[in-house]
Amino acid sequence: MSERIRVWDLPTRFFHWLLVLSFAGAFFSADSERNRDLHVLFGYTILGLISFRLIWGFIGSRYARFSSFVYYPKVVYLYLCQLIQNKARHPVGHNPAGAVVIILLLLLGIASGLTGWAVYEDIGTDLLPEWHELISNAMLAVVCVHITGVLVSSFLQGENLIATMITGKKQGEANQAIVSNVSSLAWLLLAIVIALWLWAWPATKGLVWLRQMLPW
Amino acid sequence: MKQINIGFLMLMAIAQPTWAEQSQDFIKSYAIQAKQDNAAFLGFDSHRGELFFKSKHEGGDWSCSSCHTENPTLSGLHAVTKKEIEPMAPSVNPARFTNSSKVEKWFKRNCKDVLSRECTTQEKGEVITYLMSLSR
Repeated sequence: MSERIRVWDLPTRFFHWLLVLSFAGAFFSADSERNRDLHVLFGYTILGLISFRLIWGFIGSRYARFSSFVYYPKVVYLYLCQLIQNKARHPVGHNPAGAVVIILLLLLGIASGLTGWAVYEDIGTDLLPEWHELISNAMLAVVCVHITGVLVSSFLQGENLIATMITGKKQGEANQAIVSNVSSLAWLLLAIVIALWLWAWPATKGLVWLRQMLPW
Repeated sequence: MKQINIGFLMLMAIAQPTWAEQSQDFIKSYAIQAKQDNAAFLGFDSHRGELFFKSKHEGGDWSCSSCHTENPTLSGLHAVTKKEIEPMAPSVNPARFTNSSKVEKWFKRNCKDVLSRECTTQEKGEVITYLMSLSR
């Protein structure tokens, strides 16, 4: 009996949307020296978020764990073959093809963040900025693959997978549901990111802005 | 013979990125380009380059010297991040203007910040002429 069950815990969902925001922010602040500190701030946020996600990949809830979505290449290949023939069975968590994309995004995010940090600190050669740009553009390309994959899978499964990353819920059997939403950890993650942004936002303009917003 | 040619080409391909250009080479190639762009081109003027470097343009709030300071033989200071920028004058910093892709990248990036457009070849040539005219 299929029903709506929770598959993505709240920390995983917060991580996802905070990464979306940080990646978009880093991308749109890349072209001007005026936004350099903002760009660096988004870069640090990406590194922090992915560090959290790597830990969560070992201790998080069922479908957030690497053990549930790191598949053998053969499995990925078979899944893609079945997908083309429209015979694929869709797992509740990440599907094998999507999982490869997620792992690529995590790795490229780390590489982009670390090379960016080295560029900012003037470590390395003249080629390093080129690498940073190349890796970041590769990440953008993989983001496009990810979005395309989500749209295609949503269509094939007849389920809105974008909504799934917001609500955390999907169609499935009751025994496939995760037990806890781990919401307190998620709110802590969000609070840390907001605190970082307010504290570091160009010469703490964020704090001035916050003070103006407060009624007292 | 063919093998020697291929070997030579491969050597060229490997050696190319390490070929250091000289600031003088930029002025030469910019001059050729400027002449193509404008038949009335008469050469680069270091004083015009200095004026361009130190002025704000078309309503913008930054000049080149906002970060690189009024004296390009000294270290600059990034207007936003407050990080140190190495001197622009090749007399004090010989690494400047030795890599064309780096030079083009930074002109493109910084001209957009200062002028909200890309610099013309004339402007680029004059800025380098000015920076090369400075002694330590």
